[in-house]
Amino acid sequence: MSTKKSKGLARVQELYENRGSRAKELRAQGKKIIGYLCCLAPLEIMTAANLVPIRILGSVKEPITRADAHLETIACPYVRSCLDIALKGRYDYIDGLVVPHTCDNTYALYAIWASGIVPITPSYHHYIDGPHMTFPTSIEYFDVELGRFKKSLEEFTGKRITNQSLNKAIKLYNQNRALLRELYGLRRQDPPLLTGIEMTKILVACRVIPVEESNELIGEVIKEVKNRRDVPTKKTRLLVYGGEIDDIALIELIEESGANVVVDDHCLGVRSFWHDVQVNTNPIHSLSVRYLENVACPRTYKQREQGYKRDMDNRFGYLLEFAKEYDVKGVILYIIRYCDTFELDAPGVREYLQKAGYPVLHIEDDYSVTTIGQLKTRVQAFLEMIG
Amino acid sequence: MVEKSKTTAVHSSETVRKIRYFSKNMHDKAHKAKAEGRPVSYCMGGCAYHEILEAMGVTSVYTEHYGGVCAAYRVSEPYLIRAESEGYANNLCGYCRNTIGFDIVRQELGHMPEDAPDGGIPAPDMMLSCSAGCDHRYKWYQATGRYWDVPTFSYDVMQIPPFDTDIKATKAHVMKYQVEQFQRLIDFLEKLLDKKMDWDRLSFLVNRANESLWSWWSAYLLRKHHPSPMPSEDHFSAIVPAVFDLASRDTLSFYRELYGELQFKVDHNKGVLDEEKYRLLWAGGLPPWHTMGIINYFETFGAVFVMEASDYGPWPFFDIPKGMTNPLEILALRTWNQRVEYWDDAKKGCGHSRVQRILNRIEEYDIDGCMMHMTRSCRYQSLGQIHFNNLIQKHVKIPLMFMESDIVDLRDYNEADTKRRVDAFMETVDSFKRKGGRKAVRN
Repeated sequence: MSTKKSKGLARVQELYENRGSRAKELRAQGKKIIGYLCCLAPLEIMTAANLVPIRILGSVKEPITRADAHLETIACPYVRSCLDIALKGRYDYIDGLVVPHTCDNTYALYAIWASGIVPITPSYHHYIDGPHMTFPTSIEYFDVELGRFKKSLEEFTGKRITNQSLNKAIKLYNQNRALLRELYGLRRQDPPLLTGIEMTKILVACRVIPVEESNELIGEVIKEVKNRRDVPTKKTRLLVYGGEIDDIALIELIEESGANVVVDDHCLGVRSFWHDVQVNTNPIHSLSVRYLENVACPRTYKQREQGYKRDMDNRFGYLLEFAKEYDVKGVILYIIRYCDTFELDAPGVREYLQKAGYPVLHIEDDYSVTTIGQLKTRVQAFLEMIG
Repeated sequence: MVEKSKTTAVHSSETVRKIRYFSKNMHDKAHKAKAEGRPVSYCMGGCAYHEILEAMGVTSVYTEHYGGVCAAYRVSEPYLIRAESEGYANNLCGYCRNTIGFDIVRQELGHMPEDAPDGGIPAPDMMLSCSAGCDHRYKWYQATGRYWDVPTFSYDVMQIPPFDTDIKATKAHVMKYQVEQFQRLIDFLEKLLDKKMDWDRLSFLVNRANESLWSWWSAYLLRKHHPSPMPSEDHFSAIVPAVFDLASRDTLSFYRELYGELQFKVDHNKGVLDEEKYRLLWAGGLPPWHTMGIINYFETFGAVFVMEASDYGPWPFFDIPKGMTNPLEILALRTWNQRVEYWDDAKKGCGHSRVQRILNRIEEYDIDGCMMHMTRSCRYQSLGQIHFNNLIQKHVKIPLMFMESDIVDLRDYNEADTKRRVDAFMETVDSFKRKGGRKAVRN
C-alpha cells in the first residue's frame, strides 16, 4: 500500500508533477519497475509477475539535447523525448523496458535504448512482436508472442505466472477501466464535472503508480468530483483526437481559449482503457483479443470488407459515437509530426467527421510547448467559428 | 515541366542502361492489361507476392516505383503539393505523397496529367498492401481508398526481428503465420477474380524467381573485384526487376545478362573508373531518385560505390530443405532468410544483424569509406543510421558521411551543401587511406 498522505485531486497533482516519485519509493522497498511504451503493452502480464508497469512519458517542456546523438531528428518527437530523458538518467529507476511493436519510431527506439547506451540500461528488455492485421490467425500469432513475453518475465523474476494470477491482474485492470469510464461519465453533463486539464493529470497519474493504487486514487477522485462545488464553467464542448498527450499544455491552451475538452481519443485517454479484457480460462488469448482487436490505434489494420464509407465507419465510427454521447460541438485532431500512421489517417478522419456535421481543427505539432503556443490563434479562431 | 539539364546518373553497365525501357515496359504492360480488361492492382515492394499475382493473372503497378520515376523526371512537385493541400503531412513518404497527389490530380483532370512519365499508371481494379517494413505499407492504401473505392486487401509480412530476438524460438511460428497469410491473399484473389490458383504455375514462378535472385547475388559477388565492375548508381536501377517484377522471364534474363557483363569486366579487369582510388559502401538509406547524378560526383574524386548494404537486396543464397515443395513455404522461407541475413554473424559480432551486414561488407568488399543517405520522408530506412554508425565505429574506424535529402521531394535537397559534404568526406577518406586505411577496433 502507498505511504501517501494526500488524496484525490491533490494526490493527482503530486504525481503529475513528480511522475517517477512513487516508482522510486516502491523500488526502494524492493519492487521491480518496468517502463513500457504505448497502449499495446499488456500491463496485466507484468502485474501478474509482481512487477510494477510504469508508462514511459516524454516531456513537451524540455528541449531535446541528448537524443539527437543517437536518433535522427526525423523521428517522432515524443519518442525522441523519451530517449532524451532516458539518456539524461531520469529513467534510472526502471528495471526493465517493454516496447510493443507499434510503429517504425518505437521499433528504432527499442534498438537504441536496449543496446546499452543509456547511463543505466535496464537489465530486462523485451520487444513484443505484434502483427498489424486482426485475422483470427493474427490473434493466434499474438497469443504466441504474449506467451513468449510471459515466459521472459518468468525468467526475469524466477517465478511462474499462473492463469490465476493473470486473471487476478485482469480483474484489477478491468476495475481500473471501469473507474475511468465512470470518471469520464462525469464529463457528459454540461458543464462537465471536471475539466480536460484535470482529466489529463489524472490519466498521467494513473499510469505512474501500481494498478491497485490507481484504483484507489480514481475512486477518491470520483467521490471528490461528485461532491465538488467549484464545477467548471459552461463552454464549447470538444473532443480531442490524436497521439501521445501526456502534458496539460495543449488542453490548457484549448480550455483557456473558451472550450471544455469533455472526451478524447488519444494514447493515454480512452484508447488505452475503454475496452475490458474477458476473464476466462485462457487469459493470454483474452489479452491478445483485447490489445490487438480493441485498441483503436492506427497501427492496427482493419480489413476493408466493403467500400470506403463502410471502411471509415468500421475504423472511426466509434468517434462519432463518442461525439454524440458527449454532445461535442467540434473536434481537434492533434497529430504529432513524423507519426506516419496518424498523419496518413488524419485527412480521412477530418473529412469523415466533417461529413457527419462536426467542425474539425487539424493540428500538426512537434510535441513541444514552444510550438503549442503558436496554436493559440488557430484554436481561438476555430472556437469562434463553431461558436 | 520536365527538368532539362541532366540530373540522372550516368551508368557504366550496358545491361543497366536498359532499365529505363524495362521500367517503361512494366507500365506499358499495365496500360495494355487495363485496356484489355485484365485485372490491374496497385502494389507495394516487399510484400513478397510477385509470383502469386503473376500466377493469378494480376498485373502489378508498383506505386512506390512510380514515385521514383516521377522523381527522376522531376515532375513530382505538383503531386506532392496537391497531396499536402489535402492535409497529408509534408514529412510522409515521398513515394506515397507523390502517388496520392497524382491520383488526385488525375481524378480532377478526368484524364492523365500531360507530363506524367510513361503515360501515367492505370487506374487500379484492386489495391494490395502488406505490413512488411514500414508503416506506410499498410496505411497508404487505406488513405488512397478516398480516391479509389476498389477492393483492398492487406496482410502481414514478417519484420526484421529486433536485434535481441531468439530467432530459433520464433522461426516456426513466424513461418507458419506467413504461409497462412499468403494463403489468405490467394483466397482473397480467388474470390475476387472467380478463378483458382494454378499451383503448378506458382511453383514454376517461385523457382524461376529464386534463380533470378541467385543470379543477382552471384553478379554482385563479382563486385568484390579490384577494380569494381559496377557502382551503386547502377545498383539502384538494377533493383527494379527484382523488387517490382520478380516473377517475369525478363527479370531472369536481365540478371543473367548482368552477371555475364560483370564477369566479362572482371575477366578483363575493366572497372567503373580507369583508376579506382577509393572503394565506398552505400551503407544505408534509399537513393535520391531526383538527383541520382550526385553519385557520379564521388567518381570525380576517383571513388566508386562498389557495394551496398541496403534492404533492397540482393540477398545471399539460401538452401531449400529437401522435401519442401509447397511454394508458399518456399516464399516464406525466402522472406525469412532475407529478414535474418547475417543473424548468426551478428551473434558473434556486433549484436545487430543490419550493422553486421555493413561490417561484413566493409571487409568483404575492401571498403575505404561509407555513406548513409538519410531520407527525410522515410523513417524505416533512416531511423537508426546514427546508432548504426556509432556501432560501426566501435568495431572499425572508417570514415562515414551522412547525406541528407529525400527519395522524391526535391525541396529537401541542397546540391551545393551536399557537394560540400562530399568534398570534405573525400578529403577524410584520402587522409585515412594515406594513414593505412580503415582499422579494426579490438573489443
